[in-house]
Amino acid sequence: MFLAWNEIKHAKLRYSLVMGVMFLIAYLVFFLTGLAYGLAQDNRTAIDKWQADTILLSKEANSNLNMSMIARKELDNVDAKNKALLAQTPGVIVDNSSEDNEKIDVSFLGIEADSFLAPKIVEGKMFASNDEVVADSSVKEQYGIKIGDELSLSGNEKKLTVVGFTENAKFSVSPVLYTSINAFQEIRFEKEDTSENARINGIVIRGPLAAYPDDLEKISVGNFINDLPGYSAQVLTFGFMIGFLIVIAAIVIGIFVYVLTMQKQKIFGVMKAQGISSGYIAKSVIVQTFLLAFVGVVIGALTSILTSFLLPAAVPYQNNYLFLIGVSILMLLFAVSGALFSVRTIVKIDPLKAIG
Amino acid sequence: MSAIEFIDVKKQFKDGDTTIEALKTTNFKVEKGEFVAIIGPSGSGKSTFLTLAGGLQSPTEGQVKINGENFSEEKEKTRAKLRFKKIGFILQASNLIPFLSVENQLKLVDKISSKEQHLSKDKLFNQLGVSKLVKKYPEELSGGERQRVAIARALYNDPTIILADEPTASLDSERAFEVVEILAKESKEKNKAIIMVTHDIRLVQYCDRIIEIRDGLMVEKDAEKIKQKYAREEDNEN
Ligand SMILES: Nc1ncnc2c1ncn2[C@@H]1O[C@H](COP(=O)(O)OP(=O)(O)OP(=O)(O)O)[C@@H](O)[C@H]1O
Ligand SMILES: [Mg+2]
Repeated sequence: MFLAWNEIKHAKLRYSLVMGVMFLIAYLVFFLTGLAYGLAQDNRTAIDKWQADTILLSKEANSNLNMSMIARKELDNVDAKNKALLAQTPGVIVDNSSEDNEKIDVSFLGIEADSFLAPKIVEGKMFASNDEVVADSSVKEQYGIKIGDELSLSGNEKKLTVVGFTENAKFSVSPVLYTSINAFQEIRFEKEDTSENARINGIVIRGPLAAYPDDLEKISVGNFINDLPGYSAQVLTFGFMIGFLIVIAAIVIGIFVYVLTMQKQKIFGVMKAQGISSGYIAKSVIVQTFLLAFVGVVIGALTSILTSFLLPAAVPYQNNYLFLIGVSILMLLFAVSGALFSVRTIVKIDPLKAIG
Repeated sequence: MSAIEFIDVKKQFKDGDTTIEALKTTNFKVEKGEFVAIIGPSGSGKSTFLTLAGGLQSPTEGQVKINGENFSEEKEKTRAKLRFKKIGFILQASNLIPFLSVENQLKLVDKISSKEQHLSKDKLFNQLGVSKLVKKYPEELSGGERQRVAIARALYNDPTIILADEPTASLDSERAFEVVEILAKESKEKNKAIIMVTHDIRLVQYCDRIIEIRDGLMVEKDAEKIKQKYAREEDNEN
């Protein structure tokens, strides 16, 4: 600690640069992780909000919610304590209250207002009629939609009024608008269908599922998310990118520490001539590496947290503290193992050569 | 028990086909409290002898014993420990750590062996005339100042053996005498064995024994005669 710290103090510029490199590498990893995580979340937050375990879709749908068509009445044939109807369709809305008439891609979720799928309202109230919607708050932040705004639908006569907002409701990277099942019928099929044969897309179950009709397929919510169009590919792509980035970061840090150690061979030789053990020198190199990496990673983490506040809402960036801590620990481990790699060199330094 | 004992020690360097005998077969002892001067021309093997004594290299043949312990046959780890505790090294080239201030050079010793008692830093710095330089870094010191700090560092953990390779090389003669005086006092008052390599024959005044090395061969000289001779010369000069 004594040697490590005094050396850092003495060669401030050099060690600031090393720390800067550590910081940049850490920040890059954190940033990419944040983007990947944010994007992954944008696919699924609306689903995560359900806190459900299983979803029933029609058999021929191949896990694709949109392709699944079920009659409303099937709900009665499902034996589960917590079950809810779910209808979903993508749509395009226009905010009539704003001047620029910007078109917004959204995802409509048709639900029953009293089912467990009903989102938690953070502003306004739950929809009460077929002409009201509750929207994800991102449309407020991104497009300035307010409570009371009237939305019209592209290619449809239907008008909807925003009555409430909920948070973190995204489905397949689109903000979710919650409507009643009947409103959904109008949006999707352009006419109301209050009959028991009205088509919905799925039945969501929270907790145990005892029995369900033969023509439905049971899918765990986890698998359902993985089968969302594009989701697995995104997660896999980003996963590999981050994985390789971390491996490359580990190698870069390792080489860095090694080069620093090589540069200090002569000094270590002098120390050895004084009788300072290789162990003590190695320990101070490891402590020093840890200090540099720690400060770099902490600044990187703080910067990435700051970044999440500064980025425009349109960027799907989200920090996950578990990932942040996990990646930090990983980077510290790599830095220290880079230092351990250099210990061999330290042990082999011949004091005589160093001082000659 | 001798402080340092060389038993049939020989050191060769292979340089391509030729073998350099840097130190021919040597039997040699230094007792505690003795101050030994090593003289001889450049390239004769003085540094080789000193580094063998300090365990910085191993002999090609024979054994080096420190306080009766078979030093040269120990593992490097044990040797480093012994070197740290028992031997103060003052090297020909500066042996200070560039990123530590003068006082921290000594503090490092405290950090490594916190249990042991060391000499008073202030007193040492005073003795060597570097008390004004404690906050400075080696790069900010003159060659002589660096040398004196190195001496302070070597004396600090109160070693029983001091090995000095031309400790006065970059000092003016007044300082040189002072430094050697300090070393002489250490050897007498604290019963230390000191071996000093020097080119400056006048400094042998303070030494008990004088050894000359020529082409790797050590020859014990008549210390009194040499001392008298050079003392006389100095008188003549005055
Ligand atoms: N590592 C080595 N490899 C090969 N030859 C060496 C090595 N170290 C020393 N020698 C040779 O051994 C001989 C003695 O060298 P040494 O350094 O002991 O001389 P010295 O008496 O200290 O000289 P100086 O007064 O110039 O310091 C020289 O001929 C030198 O070239
Ligand atoms: Mg020499």
